[in-house]
Order: sequence, then C-alpha cells, then structure tokens
Amino acid sequence: MHWAILSGIEGNVEAYEAVLKDIQRQKQQVAVLFVLGDFVGLKGDNQATIERLRSPRPGELPPQVCVGWWEEQCFSLHGLSGSLDAPELMEQEGGEGVRALWNSVPREAVLWMRSLHFGFHELDCLLIHGSTLSYADELTPETPAIQLCDRLIRADANRLFCGRSGLTFECEVFPHQLTSSVTTLDGAQEPVDQGKTSRRVVGVGSVGRTQGLATYTMYHSGSDRVTFKTVRYGQAKGFAPTSARSSVKSRK
Amino acid sequence: MKIAVISCIHGNTEALDAVLSDIDAQNAEKIYCLGDLVGYGPHPNEVVNRIRSLDIPTCQGCWDEDIVDGLNACDCSYPSQLAEKRGKLAHEWTDRVIEPDVREYLAALPMTVREDNLCFVHGSPNSQHEYLLPSMDGFAALERVLSVEADVLFCGHTHVPYVRELDNGSITVSLQQSNGGSGEAKVTQQFAAPLKKIINAGSVGEPRHGRPNATYVLYDTDTQQTTMREVPYEFTKTCMAILESGLPPIFAWRLARGMEFAERADDPSHVCQR
Amino acid sequence: MSDSSIVVVAGPSGSGKTAWIAQRLAEATQPALYVSVDGEAISVELAYIGYRFPKVRLANARALPQVFDELAEPTVIYVEVGFSEDVQELSLGGLPSHRVAVLPPSLHHSAWHDWADEIVAGNEVAIFEPHKMPEVWTMSLAGQVFDAPSLDDISIELTGGAYGKVHRMKALVELPDGRLFYLDFVDGMPGIEYGEPRVPQWLEGRPQRFSGIEVVGWNLEGDTIARTIRDGCLSNEAIAHYQLQYKSQSSSSVPQAAQ
Repeated sequence: MHWAILSGIEGNVEAYEAVLKDIQRQKQQVAVLFVLGDFVGLKGDNQATIERLRSPRPGELPPQVCVGWWEEQCFSLHGLSGSLDAPELMEQEGGEGVRALWNSVPREAVLWMRSLHFGFHELDCLLIHGSTLSYADELTPETPAIQLCDRLIRADANRLFCGRSGLTFECEVFPHQLTSSVTTLDGAQEPVDQGKTSRRVVGVGSVGRTQGLATYTMYHSGSDRVTFKTVRYGQAKGFAPTSARSSVKSRK
Repeated sequence: MKIAVISCIHGNTEALDAVLSDIDAQNAEKIYCLGDLVGYGPHPNEVVNRIRSLDIPTCQGCWDEDIVDGLNACDCSYPSQLAEKRGKLAHEWTDRVIEPDVREYLAALPMTVREDNLCFVHGSPNSQHEYLLPSMDGFAALERVLSVEADVLFCGHTHVPYVRELDNGSITVSLQQSNGGSGEAKVTQQFAAPLKKIINAGSVGEPRHGRPNATYVLYDTDTQQTTMREVPYEFTKTCMAILESGLPPIFAWRLARGMEFAERADDPSHVCQR
Repeated sequence: MSDSSIVVVAGPSGSGKTAWIAQRLAEATQPALYVSVDGEAISVELAYIGYRFPKVRLANARALPQVFDELAEPTVIYVEVGFSEDVQELSLGGLPSHRVAVLPPSLHHSAWHDWADEIVAGNEVAIFEPHKMPEVWTMSLAGQVFDAPSLDDISIELTGGAYGKVHRMKALVELPDGRLFYLDFVDGMPGIEYGEPRVPQWLEGRPQRFSGIEVVGWNLEGDTIARTIRDGCLSNEAIAHYQLQYKSQSSSSVPQAAQ
C-alpha cells in the first residue's frame, strides 16, 4: 500500500494543488493521503486551504489530517488550549503575524481543527507533526541521538513520520546497547541489556513553506520504502517535468 | 559528602520528624527535598514551615504546583475515576487550610535544583507529573538524565524508592543518502554514554511499597554509594489526624497499609498537553 | 410433578453451596429449577445462575408451592437456603426432598449435620455463633457501569476491611466494554475469584439487566460503600464515549455470540 505524506501547506493552496496533481500522476496508486499539520499559516489563503481539505473533489482521497504548530497557535488565539494569546506565534511572527492569522481563520474552522487528531498510528508507524512530546518538537538528523531514540520509544513505533522541521530526511536510529540495573528495597535485580533493533525517523518535507518548491513523501508499507518528491510549480517552474525527480534534503 | 534526599511528604509531620531524626543519626551533612510537601495529609502548613526553617533546598512537586496554580493535574494522570474524585477532595481541603505565606513559598519553588553533577527534580526534568518508574525503557530514562547534563538524577513522585544504573549506552544514527534506497547510509552520530544514575527517594509521608514506614535515601558524593532507608514512625497519629481533620477516612486506611493513593498514569511517560 | 425431585442445599456463608449447584446444573440433562431462599429481595446468586444457565428456570422462595404446581415436565428442583435461614422452618409443601449440607471439612457437629441426608465437603470457612452472626448488605447496581480501575480499588478496599470486616462479597458488575463479570470473595480464601457469564455485550446505553452486590460481614458502613461505588461508576457521557469506541472496534470483528 502506498501512502502520500505531507505537511506544512501553511495556507499555500497553490502548492497543495500542485502536490495533489503530482500524487495523481504517480505510477503507483496512493491509498492514503496524510496531512501532518501546519496546513494554515502565513503563506497564502488559509480559508481556501481548509475548504480544500474538508471537501475533497470527486475521485480525490479524503485527506487524513492532524494538527500542527500553526493550528495550535489558532487554538491559543481562540482560547481553546492551555496558553492564551499564542506567545510562541508572537515571538516568531510578531503582532503583525498574530493579526494576520487571527483574521484569516474563522472560529468555525478553528473548532473543526480542534476536532482533528494529534497524530496517527498506522501499522508500526506514527505519523505526527512534531513528536509525542509536543507539536513544537523539531526533529532533524542533527537532533542528539538520545533524543531521537527517546522520541521513537515514546512513539511506540518503528517508523516516526514528522513534519515540524520542513526537511525531507530518513534517519536510522540504532540503539545497540544499554545495561540497566535496578535495586529496590527488596534488593538488586539482574542487570538487563536494553539494546534494541533499529528504527527510523522520517522528515516528510514541507508543501508550502518555500514558494515555488514543494516537497512531500511517498511510503510503501509493503517494502518499507520511503521516497521523497519535489514539485516545482508557479513561476519558479523549471523546463522539464520534475515530479519524478527528487532529492534528499538535509539542513543547510 | 553524605547527603540525604527526601520527597513526597504530603502533609505528614509525624513521618517527617521521624525521618529528620534518622538523618541526624546517619550523620548526613545536607538535606535536599524533591517536593510534594502538601496534599492528602493533615499538616500541610506545618510541613512547609519545618522545611523552610531548616533551609532545605527544595524543588516544586505536582501537588505544590496545583495548590498554587489551581488543580492542574489532567484526568489522565489519575489511575482511576475514584482516585481522581478523592484527589479533588484532598486538593479542596488543602487549598482551604493552606496559609498565604505557605502558598507563596510553594509558588517560588524551582522546578529543578542543581549541585555539581547532581540534579534534583520531583517527577522528571520534563514535568512534575511524569513518572520515572524503574520499568521505564532504559534509553528513555537515560534521555531524562542527559537532558539536564547530570550524572545522577534524583526524583520522587512514584513513592517507591529505587536506584537505577544505566551503563554502556550506545546509539548509532545514520542518514539514508540515496533517495528511497536502503543501501547507502552515512553514519552521522555515534553516541556513547558513561554510567548515569537515577535515584528515586521514595516517599516520607505516603509510602507505597506495601508497608507504612517512611522512605528516603542517603547518597555519598565521594563513594557514589546510595542507601535506601525505611523508617518506622507512629503512623497511627497521622491516621487519627486525618480522621479528625475531615479528610476522607480512606486516606488513613491506605496510609496504614502503605497503599498510597497518589495519581499514577497508565502511560507513565505521558505528558499532559494542556 | 410426581417425577420431579427436590434437592435442598444449605450451609454456612461462603461454604460453596452455589458452586455445588452450578456444577450439577452444568452436567444436567433434565430440566431444572433453581430456587434461592435468602430472604433478600436482590439475590446476586439467583441472577448469576440465570446468566450462566439460561435454560434453568429461576424462582424466589416466596412463590414456592405455586411454582411447583406449575411445573409441566419432570424437573430437578434445587433450593439454596441462605446461611441465615433456619433449615427446619423451610416449607416445601410436604414434598419429599434430598437434603445436602455443604460444610467446612473441619466441622463435625452442627444443626446441618442433624438435618442433612448428604454432607458435601466445601470451603474451609468460619462458623459463627448465633449472637455473632454477620449482617448482610446489598445494593442494586442495575444500570451502573464501573470504571474498571475504580472497581479494582473498591474490591481491594472492601475485601481488605476498609468499610467494616467483610466475610463474603459477591457481585455482578457491568464494565464499559459491555461485559458482565461475577466477583466472588470469601475471607480466608486466596484472592477474589472472577467469572464471566456468557451474556451478550451491552453497548447501547445503561445496561437494562440485573447487576448488584451483596456483602456479608460486621460493622459494615453501608452508606460509605454505596458512595464509594457511585464514585467509581461512570457518567452517561463516559458510558456513551466508551461504547462508541468499543462498537467501532468490534464492527470489523465477529460479534460476540449471543445465546
């Protein structure tokens, strides 16, 4: 079964349309479309994006959508989460950004967003925006090994697909060895080796963050194969069809 | 230097006094406290005043936080609906009797206390509500110690003392180079951790190891030796005080059996999203 | 009626009367009738036998002679006499009966011995002097659904003596996944025994079938037990939430066989 996994539309509905077209053009039929949060943002038309996600056209896959960092900022602005007035958003985008987000997402849409999942467990995979620690948790290949390992263990999955960094990467984490010895009031227990098999963290890319260049991920569950896709669209479009071309992106 | 680490006193002065005497007798030079001074027990103000008067470095527990910020524990951190209803009764009672300066003291407590390569927290470095159970995955436990850049992490919150040594930790991280291929991979991180320890101090005022005795730990910073102490005290006095104070009588019954009734999540590493 | 036979079963609390009858019913080839004589309006074991053996007819002692008259075919009638009832006073309409006493093996002389035709070795339970007889506290749990961890808490506290000294507890309880459980505790026996009668999972609102609890002991704090039980039972919203979850889980699998 093939999955298409994307994140970070950030209101860039043009980029999302380009990716949907690219998915339709794939040789392999995609069975499930996952949208790992950050579908709203400051990169275009949030209302149009939400509309597009909520009402797929005939023949299109209904997207499986979970929330991300930007949706959490909406919850905070609308008093639907623990913190008020979106301090994280204020710090990143300033008052201008806060106003723009507030004005571009109606409350009714925020309530719909509130009904979405925090992530998806499918087979032995967890698909989530940040990690099970937090929607803001940004995993990259440079994240310290012990943290990557911890997030995989928390995920209770062999594959962790995440979107916070906006990068496409596939990272194998192999916790070979760790000796744990516990002593309680009843005495010392036998030391245990807690080494385990390797797992993977996959960054699924970002659809809308970079104008003209969208990245997303294809996953084939049968062969456990990850393929990254790059889509050029709009004015930045190149000369040749690029959908089949792709590259591994790493930070910097 | 020999230090004593105490935790989870929960308004039980009888137990605290017995433990303080024992610490004296063991010649510990310094005491650290991992929070939860109040909640469930009948003497929250007295316990706080005793800790303050002795100038014991203390970090904030989940009950201390809740008394300051309003009941903050989410549903998911109680083991049962019944425990949650009782927890709320205990919270309301404590909230009613607590004195303003005691509340201020609890509000000002830090989340973590540092001393050289030792770090002191109530639950975990992530949250006062997170349980570092001895059964927790070793790598996840190691991450908690490394996140605070310590060699020894002292925690409480589970009410059962233990010492856990994590040694020979080794992780390899490699980045897949070719798109979609599984052949080429470049090792980008080789991680190795020397010996790290997690020491759980148990509970002074609401033990949960099946006996009513108070528990705490001694740690020698020179020899790195840990001693778990179990101290008998007159728990029946605390039980009587619970009954007289109007707290739910079942707390006395459980205290006398070492069956503390604190919150405990099904998923111990669960961190509430509120 | 003439081919019917009556078996009267008596003995102290917790000796294993119901278990002995249940064993007979499980092996029975003939139609059977089970009669409970324990003076209580709510009878946990009456309901338990009903759930376990749907073909067995049930009756309360008060309707006895009339029920006997109505039997259309030869039937084995089991009459279970509660520990607090006087076996000598029992009226069976003059019908001949086989008298069975289920007794602790160490008991050698008692009114039960004088009365019985057959002695069955049961659980090693304590026998109480008439002036130290335990009290019986019952509560209907009809429509109530337990939060499962709370049920564990309550069972541990109740049988551990938090609400008075408990000699015996038996209960039929509903859980959020629609299953019905039988809990059986006898002081001195190891742990609490759990049984699951084969009844359909109830996933449509509050269960409309019998569930209840019966506690035998001394100085029982009935009001506190009742309040604790209520605190451990789920609200309408919580029940609906769980049932929705379990229904979506089981929709793809084969539904539990209903009898």
